[in-house]
Amino acid sequence: MTDDDVSHDAVVIERSFDAPVELIWQMWTDPDHFAAWYGPDGASIPVAEMDIRAGGARRVCMQVETPKGPMQMWFAGEYREVSENQRLVYTESICDEHGTVLAPADAGVPEGHPTTTEVHVDFHDIDGRTRIVMTHVGVPGDSPGAAGWVMALDKLAFHAAAHISR
Amino acid sequence: MTVATDEDRLSETFAALASSTRRAILARLAEGSATVNELAEPFDMTLPAISKHIKVLERAGLIVRTRHAQYRPCALDPARLEEVSTWTDRCRDAWEARFDRMDDYLTQLRSQRRTDEHDD
Repeated sequence: MTDDDVSHDAVVIERSFDAPVELIWQMWTDPDHFAAWYGPDGASIPVAEMDIRAGGARRVCMQVETPKGPMQMWFAGEYREVSENQRLVYTESICDEHGTVLAPADAGVPEGHPTTTEVHVDFHDIDGRTRIVMTHVGVPGDSPGAAGWVMALDKLAFHAAAHISR
Repeated sequence: MTVATDEDRLSETFAALASSTRRAILARLAEGSATVNELAEPFDMTLPAISKHIKVLERAGLIVRTRHAQYRPCALDPARLEEVSTWTDRCRDAWEARFDRMDDYLTQLRSQRRTDEHDD
């Protein structure tokens, strides 16, 4: 087994929306639209900068209100593929407000955890409605580019559980 | 000894899993327990090298070694893998929640547009 064997595995979600593909594309590429849905419940997106072209930078700030005041998390990345109304690929890393990528420990995630991930979104026009296929792959810290291990482990855990219950 | 937090444990698990050789060993063990010799077979590696990987997995609680006559076969301990799986589920849940909000937002945009048209 090499890392290449699992490169197609990841968190994959398919979803249909009752809206034309042009509008769904804007949901991902227009900062105002993006901020309206992306943040988790109770959070806001005070900053969403998007240079929508291959090689263009993106920077997103997520803010949650805590009893101690607002807490911000920053994410930076790069657009890898931009095909309007068809396909969007971008990377995302946990960073500080200056865009400097943080080590897992500083980012508050366990060592070996993916701090850099890649998001692929495919857009399909189905008679005026839109189906999207979103793939989110983790890039392990010790082997950049070896994407897709998260889901592979998911499968492994499933096999293990099946084995134990036999 | 202090009780390790969930985060520390997950951290140890991920570090142990950040190796394709160790993941291959786990995949083999998912099919049933095996001796170190059996585990070493598919790899172009010395026994001490494989033993080292096995020790990392054992320390991370991903596998257990039982005593069986003079052999000490390795077996998978799925509890830790389930924790990893939980993390994956959380990632999926976060996206599902985002898409629910996108749906709500689209509905909101649509009703706004209708109101605007009505005003005209």
